[in-house]
Amino acid sequence: MIESILDNNLITFLILLVSVGALVGLFIGLSVFLGPKRTSKVKDSPFECGWIVTTDAWRPFPIKYYLVAILFIIFDVEVAFLYPWAVSFGNLGMAGFISMMVFLAILFVGLYYAIKKRVLDWR
Amino acid sequence: MSYSLTDIFGVLPELILVVTAITAILVDVASKGKDSSATMLVTAVGFIVSGIAAISGVGTIGVLMNGAVFQDGFTTAFRAIFCLIGFLTAIFSPAYLHFRNIRLGEYYPLLTMSVLGMMVMVGAANLLLFFIGLETMSISLYILVSLNRTNSKSIEAGMKYLVMGAFSSAFMLYGIALMFAVVGSINYNDITNYFLADPTLGPLTIAAVALLLTGFSFKIAVVPFQFWSVDVYEGAPATVTAFMSTGPKAAAFVVFIRVFGIALHPVASHWTLLLSWIAILTMVFGNVAALRQTNIKRMLAYSSIAHAGYLLVGIVAGNHAAFAATGYYLAAYALMNLGAFAAVIIVNQRHGTDGSYRFDALKGLGFAHPLLGISLTIFMLSLIGLPPTAGFLGKLYVFSAAIETGHIVLAVAGLLNSIIATYYYLRVIVLMYMAKPEGDTTIPRPLPYAITLIVLSVLILLIGVFPEPVISLMIAVAP
Amino acid sequence: MGLISWYVVIPAATAFAITLVPKAKPMAIRWVASTGGFLLVLLSAIVSVKYWNLAAADIELLRTSMFTKLYMVEQWTWFKSIGIEYFVGVDGISVLMLDLTAIIIFTGSLASWYVTERPKEFFALLYTLVTGVFGVFVSFDLFLFFVFYEVAVLPMYLLIGIWGTGPRNYSALKLTLMLLMGSAGLLVGILALYHGSGIHSFNLIELSKIHFPEAFQLWVFPIIFVGFGVLGAIFPLHTWSPDGHASAPTAVSMLHAGVLMKLGGYGCLRVAIYLMPEGAIYWAMFFMALATVNILYGSLGAIKQKDLKYFTAYSSVSHCGFVLFGLLALNLMGIKGAVIQMFSHGIMTGLFFGLIGMVYGRTHTRMIPEMGGLAKVMPWLASAFYIGGLASLGLPGLSGFIAESHVFLGGFFGNQWHDITLMRTLTILATLSIVVTAVYVLRGLATVFHSTITNPEFEKLTDATLPEKISTGVLIAALAIGGMLPWLFVDLIEGSIFPFLNRLHESGMISSL
Repeated sequence: MIESILDNNLITFLILLVSVGALVGLFIGLSVFLGPKRTSKVKDSPFECGWIVTTDAWRPFPIKYYLVAILFIIFDVEVAFLYPWAVSFGNLGMAGFISMMVFLAILFVGLYYAIKKRVLDWR
Repeated sequence: MSYSLTDIFGVLPELILVVTAITAILVDVASKGKDSSATMLVTAVGFIVSGIAAISGVGTIGVLMNGAVFQDGFTTAFRAIFCLIGFLTAIFSPAYLHFRNIRLGEYYPLLTMSVLGMMVMVGAANLLLFFIGLETMSISLYILVSLNRTNSKSIEAGMKYLVMGAFSSAFMLYGIALMFAVVGSINYNDITNYFLADPTLGPLTIAAVALLLTGFSFKIAVVPFQFWSVDVYEGAPATVTAFMSTGPKAAAFVVFIRVFGIALHPVASHWTLLLSWIAILTMVFGNVAALRQTNIKRMLAYSSIAHAGYLLVGIVAGNHAAFAATGYYLAAYALMNLGAFAAVIIVNQRHGTDGSYRFDALKGLGFAHPLLGISLTIFMLSLIGLPPTAGFLGKLYVFSAAIETGHIVLAVAGLLNSIIATYYYLRVIVLMYMAKPEGDTTIPRPLPYAITLIVLSVLILLIGVFPEPVISLMIAVAP
Repeated sequence: MGLISWYVVIPAATAFAITLVPKAKPMAIRWVASTGGFLLVLLSAIVSVKYWNLAAADIELLRTSMFTKLYMVEQWTWFKSIGIEYFVGVDGISVLMLDLTAIIIFTGSLASWYVTERPKEFFALLYTLVTGVFGVFVSFDLFLFFVFYEVAVLPMYLLIGIWGTGPRNYSALKLTLMLLMGSAGLLVGILALYHGSGIHSFNLIELSKIHFPEAFQLWVFPIIFVGFGVLGAIFPLHTWSPDGHASAPTAVSMLHAGVLMKLGGYGCLRVAIYLMPEGAIYWAMFFMALATVNILYGSLGAIKQKDLKYFTAYSSVSHCGFVLFGLLALNLMGIKGAVIQMFSHGIMTGLFFGLIGMVYGRTHTRMIPEMGGLAKVMPWLASAFYIGGLASLGLPGLSGFIAESHVFLGGFFGNQWHDITLMRTLTILATLSIVVTAVYVLRGLATVFHSTITNPEFEKLTDATLPEKISTGVLIAALAIGGMLPWLFVDLIEGSIFPFLNRLHESGMISSL
């Protein structure tokens, strides 16, 4: 009986969901109940490597950061894609190789475009 | 997992567009942002070649890529139509973008990518590939809509579109996930087989269907999920509006037919009544709202909502002939709506108008510019649904299918709505021919404008009088 | 290409030829248009004679036939997948209607000789319109029929909207919307026939071989009848007619009142009564009562009018009521009378609207009280007006008398399905309109043409010019031929009416009504 219920993927998933939630809740709850609460002005201010805080954290900063971040995500995903490809390279054969090269070529066109549009240019 | 040459050739139109988009990006980079006419040329040629490749697929029917892609009449027809829409939008745009002072070469590669996404959508034989196509199309469109960076309305439209689009994509993806949980497969054919064997609806299935339906309703802009569309259509650069009110809508409808009409057909009876009401409300809302507009762009935006209502009638009717009818109507709709928007864009560049798309700009243009007058008249007649245009046959086919399957109330509602629509479409003709021209009637007349108008009006008349080739494509839909 | 296709080709080619003539040559445009009209009259003469010879041999066969026999048929497959054909031909009724249309468009082109505002576009649209009208009368495929019907609607809208007078935009829009409303109903009805037949065909002759279930006929008949009835100005859906006629330019009023309104009656007979005899028997009394209201309402409305065009438009509503009245008597006399009335009223009202246009072109007013004594300065026009007026009140010797007497006799004889007392009451009520018509026609004509000239400006006016004389002369000749030699018409149409009656009788026998 119990095995047949556990066989159902959905039930296992639900059990995982509930146990993760319970564990996280437990840790946060424990620290809330057990930890001492002493606040002061210095303690509530943002921590900035030992320096005195100069401005509010909600200030505009250069859009270049966003562009770099977006580029980073793209190449990050690319790496995630390359790993399984490399592992099963033997099975994929020539077709797999060509597919990946096409993919990389397209990606490099994008990078070239980004560089030419001076996305990585800091001036 | 292996692909043969047949697979590669089957998706040749898509591959050509990928190459076109990449080439266009490189050309744009090489031109250093000074002049985008070379980019436009590359894109236009790419659309033509891709369109030829698409048409060469006429007559083939089957599945490609291990069952991921349908190669059938729908795919072929809509690939060709999307290429035509893309081509005309591309050649039409330079003069408009110049008029609006938008100088971004990215316009053309984005257009290509968006058409690519639409092609993938109509060819997809499983929910995931469809979703990939949808996102390719949508992300390109988000950028295109907000391309007029100095205009706050354009930015607002882009933002609205992005938020609404992302919202509906999330619904869609959730629906796909739940459908996978129920059926254990994302292939349309597996879904059909699953529900053929067991046509009962569990709570999970109902949730999946509801989420998918909501997602589609957003994409095709039917009541009650239509509110984003008018503002987005109004704010976007007009050429983009023309493009997105035709192609993406048609693509979403084709997938709607494939998923709700065909894949989920065994259980379709559960939501026939719901869809009927949505169809009626959509028609009535679109038409009644369009009646009161003083801005042509908004009028056309509302009228395209109404047309979504007529198209839903075909999906409700739900037999093979009805889907072919809906496909034909979609093709006709895409052509006539694109034409109407193109003509309105031209009218709005009349000297002395402030570019705000008021009806007054039409006054007296019919006799001053015969080509513009006649073609806009043809587009309006087709939108009304008068013979011998494609719009007439489209309506006839759809309502005929509705009557055949016993949805007489829907057919009557659709026809009565067509009468309401006549009123505001005729107003365009009235102003063109029966009002005295005021002020300067000079209009810029570059060659691409004339080409666009002629190609579209000739096609509308041609498939209105000889619909057989289009119908025979639409009827050849993969099971 | 056979003889009948020329009916569509000639007007279409004329319209096209007109667009090729340079704008600066209005004379050439008029000549091209009138030549097109003349060719159509010639074609009608040839077709009529040919039909005569062909049909004379078949008269005994037709007496018992259940199906309309077509002559000079041309049949091509158009859209195979949905069973649409290019299927044209004629029977006696359509031959008469084609004659009428040809005469009206020929005389209408002549009557529009002096159109000065954009004559090129005017005549091109006029001939596009008439292409649709001819198309309707020759098609025996319902789809083709419907397409031609719609082709006629839009040019009408533009013609009234651009070249009309008075509140033309309002009238044009009202007319178009109401006619489209009717055609929407018609489309539903036609599609119901298409699917209900089970043979997926629009072919009228094939459809007539199917016996539609009685319950089906009972709901489809009124839809189609009213759909056509809107065009035939059936009460209470006639309101587009006076405004539309009054605002339209001369030739369009002529075509509209003369031919297009007949198209309504023609469709009622050809499609509704032919395909659904049981429906016709069931609904006949209801619609006959409406037609009686039409007749009385139209003639009473005409008395009050001061504007000559409104005056004629209201009398058209009344006369079109006769057409529906005759059809719904469902007997030989009534249907024959209705068909002759279509022809007779078409010619008569064409004459009226043509004359009004000519008078208006001179006096620049259409108000009856403002005119007077015009007979002195324009004797030709005045005499023509009198002849038209006398035909309208049914004077023997003119075709109006033949038509109306047939209709009344038809109504009086009744049929075996309906209460004879009711039918006779309605007939007597309808007959009263003759008296009313006599009053308004004679009073109106006396005011306009006799008494003294009220406006000194009128002294300088001239009589009809040559094109105008030809135009009115042809119409008067047609009226006189119809009145003096009525057997010409009767021979032409009688054979074609038998199938309708045979169908009614057979369904009347098997029906449980």
